[in-house]
Amino acid sequence: MGMFSESVDVVCAPSGQPLELNWAGRHYTVCAEPVRWYERRQWWAEERRAPLGSGPGLVDHEIWRVQVRRADSPDQESLTLDLTRHVGSGRWRLLRIHDALLPSRKPESA
Amino acid sequence: MSFTHLHVSTAFSAHYGVSWPEELAAAAAADGATALACTDRDGLYGTVKHLKACMAAGLDPVVGVDLAVFDDDGDLRTQVGGRVVVLAHGHNSGAGYRALCRLISDAHARTTGKAGGAVPVAVTRAELASRTLHPETLKPVLTVLIGPGSDVGRAMGGRRYLRPRTLFKRWLDAMPPGTVAAEVVSQLSPPGEPLSTAHAVRMLKLAAEHSVPAVLSNAVRYVAEDGAATADVLDSARTLKSLPELSAAPLLQPNGQAWLKSAAQMLQLGKEIMHAAGYGAADLKNLLAQTEALADRCRMDPVTDMGWKQPVVPEASVIGIAGDALAELTQRCEAGIGRRFPGITGKPAEELRSRLEHELRIIDSLGFAAYFLTVAEVSRMIQAMGVRAAARGSGASSLVNYLIDVSQVNPLQHDLIFERFLSRDRATLPDIDIDVESAERHNVYRKIFERFGSERVTLMSMQNGYRARGAVRDAGLALGMEEGEIGDIAKQLWRFSARNFREALEEKPELKEFAGRVGQRDFSGNQQLDLLVDLTERLDRLPRHISMHPCGVILGDATLLDRTPVQPSGLGLPMSQFDKHDMDPMGMLKLDVLGVRMQSAMAFAVREVIRLHPSKAEVVAAGAHPAGPDGTGPDYIAEDGSIDLNAVPLDDEPTYELIRSTHTLGCFQIESPGQRELIGKLAPREFNDLIIDISLFRPGPMKSDMVRPFLEHRHGFAPEVYPHPDLKPVLKETHGVTVFHEQILKTFDVMTGCGLARADEFRRALGNDGLEGRVEEFFRKEARARGYSPEVVDKVWGTLKAFGSFGFCKAHGAAFAVPTYQSAWLKTHHPEAFLAGLWEHDPGMYPKRLLVAEARRLGIPILPLDINRSQAEYRVERVAAGPDRGKLGIRLSLNGIYGLSGTELKRIVAGQPYDSLADLRARSRLSKPSIQRLAQLGAFDSLHRASGGAANRADLVHHLQTLQSRPHRKGIDVIDGQLSLPLGDVELKNLKAVLPAPTLVDTVRAELDLMAVDVSDHLMASHRPLLDRLGVTTADKLLALRNGTEVLVAGVRVATQTPPMRGGRRVVFISIDDGTGCVDSVFFHEAQELAGPLLFGTRLLLIRGTTRRTGPRGISISASMAWDLSRTETLPFPVPASGIPDYPELQPPGPLDGISRNLAITGLGG
Repeated sequence: MGMFSESVDVVCAPSGQPLELNWAGRHYTVCAEPVRWYERRQWWAEERRAPLGSGPGLVDHEIWRVQVRRADSPDQESLTLDLTRHVGSGRWRLLRIHDALLPSRKPESA
Repeated sequence: MSFTHLHVSTAFSAHYGVSWPEELAAAAAADGATALACTDRDGLYGTVKHLKACMAAGLDPVVGVDLAVFDDDGDLRTQVGGRVVVLAHGHNSGAGYRALCRLISDAHARTTGKAGGAVPVAVTRAELASRTLHPETLKPVLTVLIGPGSDVGRAMGGRRYLRPRTLFKRWLDAMPPGTVAAEVVSQLSPPGEPLSTAHAVRMLKLAAEHSVPAVLSNAVRYVAEDGAATADVLDSARTLKSLPELSAAPLLQPNGQAWLKSAAQMLQLGKEIMHAAGYGAADLKNLLAQTEALADRCRMDPVTDMGWKQPVVPEASVIGIAGDALAELTQRCEAGIGRRFPGITGKPAEELRSRLEHELRIIDSLGFAAYFLTVAEVSRMIQAMGVRAAARGSGASSLVNYLIDVSQVNPLQHDLIFERFLSRDRATLPDIDIDVESAERHNVYRKIFERFGSERVTLMSMQNGYRARGAVRDAGLALGMEEGEIGDIAKQLWRFSARNFREALEEKPELKEFAGRVGQRDFSGNQQLDLLVDLTERLDRLPRHISMHPCGVILGDATLLDRTPVQPSGLGLPMSQFDKHDMDPMGMLKLDVLGVRMQSAMAFAVREVIRLHPSKAEVVAAGAHPAGPDGTGPDYIAEDGSIDLNAVPLDDEPTYELIRSTHTLGCFQIESPGQRELIGKLAPREFNDLIIDISLFRPGPMKSDMVRPFLEHRHGFAPEVYPHPDLKPVLKETHGVTVFHEQILKTFDVMTGCGLARADEFRRALGNDGLEGRVEEFFRKEARARGYSPEVVDKVWGTLKAFGSFGFCKAHGAAFAVPTYQSAWLKTHHPEAFLAGLWEHDPGMYPKRLLVAEARRLGIPILPLDINRSQAEYRVERVAAGPDRGKLGIRLSLNGIYGLSGTELKRIVAGQPYDSLADLRARSRLSKPSIQRLAQLGAFDSLHRASGGAANRADLVHHLQTLQSRPHRKGIDVIDGQLSLPLGDVELKNLKAVLPAPTLVDTVRAELDLMAVDVSDHLMASHRPLLDRLGVTTADKLLALRNGTEVLVAGVRVATQTPPMRGGRRVVFISIDDGTGCVDSVFFHEAQELAGPLLFGTRLLLIRGTTRRTGPRGISISASMAWDLSRTETLPFPVPASGIPDYPELQPPGPLDGISRNLAITGLGG
């Protein structure tokens, strides 16, 4: 399992569930039902401020575990990715890749 | 669709819940909910606030508790299996609520009421089962929710499928049918962890498998996402572990999802759970329907279920009457007339009668006769114990109270209005407060329990919320900061709300240094400090724990414990979980039995007088009392010399002379710097002046500049002005200035004819945004209709509006003025006994050591500690020898010596007298350090002298030290009988005189260190050469200076106050004592800026400022700058002609040098 934090473009269903994503120049589609949870952050070490009224996203972040397949070559094996959506900006980042077969590009370590 | 949250902790779940009931109810109502539960942990701490909030938001309240349950398999006394939520069923005439109260009391019954007890708050499953059914109908009255916190939920981790099922079945076996539901919670934590959807699914399936209803909840801890961080900090404060530690454990909430989610969000959550379970829409519908069905069952009717606003008083039989309460009360009042007003006739008698009838009519119409009889009974009982008691508060407005001996103030004499206390328009139980001797307060409580029965009495509790210091400490703990660093920061926080910490950082000079460090985070890695500020603000006001209220006792009938849960207090007596705000809504009769140290001090003084002068003649001579009607002394002194303080007439001229002299240190209410200033200006001549003085010295009048015009009119500097001649009778006693609530009531009545009862309602509405407008409209219309000119109406309304909301009730002032007068009377006539009483009970605002200076000023000798003469309390003693021979002096007490234990103290006193150190060691079995300390304080000097030894105190201390440092040898064995040989003290006699005698500074240092009192010499005395060099003016010389003279003053801090001021800008009053008297200095904004951290942290101060004359006998300093006197290098020495400042080495070590322990000498407060 690798640990990452890099930006990903995600297309979501109206319910907020990821459907497709662009990552490292390639297009993927979600091929199984994703799992979603909220994971704690070490906010006291990561944040400089925690004023009253900071709103959501300080203590935890939303994680989606998705299984994806390359859109252009659906026969390849699927990948399992953990994605997180930043509460403020709505931007998605890739947190973890679970499967042994890493994509061709060497990721920078987090 | 609406959704009902059935598991919600409010902020009143101490160190757990984050949001206030009002916030939760408002949020639920805004989302369309029709009901909301409050299930605080361990009790109903937030329940009454929840009821109020629900009623205001238009919700039906649901009431329950989140309670720990003992593990049936574990040690039943200490091991908890898990937590469940217990909800009371409603609309059953209170059966559900009763069961809930009793169950919670069960859970606390085994705890000690002290912090850190080994027994947790919890019930056994059997107790829980036994409370769930109605005792008669055997229908369920409680529902127990088995959720994620229960033993079942906690067993769901890992892959043990059997365990949760076994545990769940055990619940079903133990509980009566229909009393259990499964609580399904998903806080969307990572798969497989507690509070994950997977666990919710397993709970749902367990319920289905056993045909138990399941309900959906979110186990709420905060109203919105933002509260999650606060919850983390509270978890840290509860467990005393830092966030990094908790996170590693892992013991923190898995994420931040425990908020009051909307109905739509809960529906979505339900869908996710159903989906994960492989269930369909029908099952979801069923889950939500069951949730709402349970909610419906638990909707409470505040009135029929919980007794909302229905006053309950003890049964007539308990207060010792057989017939009608009103008839009894009337009869007792009649009897009181004969006692209080002997021989009254004519018009006064008519007025008295009509007032009494008026009061009784109102009492009757409210049905409060039994209440008055109850209070009278308590009052009678206290007096029968021989304890001083005095009513305070608006209760003094009632003639009935005066006649039945509850109050000592005659309301007719002081023109007090009954409606200020009670009226037809006010159906709330009135407050009657009784002051008793503080030292006897607990005995009085026990006696009340005994008298009324423990089923009818409980103590009231109070909520202790976070203030700035505690909040910064716990926030620092959460962040894992060093304790020392946090302590340093906390020390600088001086009375402001934690909510405004960041604002305070910018404004408060004493925080400048800390603010600088926060600002510098980028450079020095201080980023934690910024978080510290935010977290401190988050904790502000959140309840930390409940404790026994300092005075509230709840009295009820035999059903009291069905209406409030109780838990042990630190005192051992049961304490209600409700606080003062809950009393009136819950119809609870609260009596404030307040321990007042001054009452103890006065009682002590009276006992000392009698002990020293055991006859009337001796007391009269000693106190220079008047000869009285028959020439043998006044009636209030009995033949045995005892003084009936309450019977002392309120017109003793020497007492007023003392008060006018402003030497009122130690006198109740009038000893603070500000009060001494006011007393000096006001120059009281009679009792009513004292009432006015006390009423003026309040935040309201001080803030609104009522004092200056009042004084100008009083002294005739300016003509009295009345807005209209009709108001002259109302305002005459205060020279046209509105001071009292009573005057506001009368003003309304005179100008609108509204009657006094309505006038009091109007007064209450003043300052209330919603209501004040309507009052103004009414006032203007009616006053105009009665022919008052628009100018008069405008002017009077302006006054009412400005003063109405914070004027003072004259009845309060009158009740307060009685002990003020009495204490001043004692100080005038029996100063030695009075000072001894003050020392013994320490009632005042100043450190004890200041009273030494007062004794010196009064020429009263302070007699040193003496192993054979000092007792466990201060004693007045006739001086046997020396220059003070024949005078009365005060012998220091053995109590309060640092390190001397209570048992040692008892043994010393029991064994007195001692003829030698060996004798002392043998019989009192004192520890060596204690003996050494006593030697340092000179307690053996007289023994030493008697032995004829040539050595001094230093030799003795040295001798004892070497004894101590020798390897342990077996005690000083004394063979029986050996002591009877009259050898004198061989040990002392044979001591070699080697060392120089201790210097005065050493002696004073020992006294300060061990007793926090400088007796042998004033602690400033040794600084005198330095002060002379600086050109410091002493307190006794100030009065001779002209107004506006620039001076330097120096001394040890004795008081620090930050009273509210006009315009809202903080003003700091610092009083210092330099040995010749007290200097009161005032720091305005600029001076605070300059003095910075010295304002609150320094013991010895040098202050520069200008003199400010405050009255004929009063002068204070308006400060411009301050220095820490112990940091010689910073002091502003005059530059000599040579131009080179020479830092003098003439500062010898002062008595405070080297004592870092926090001594109770400086009046730093807080």
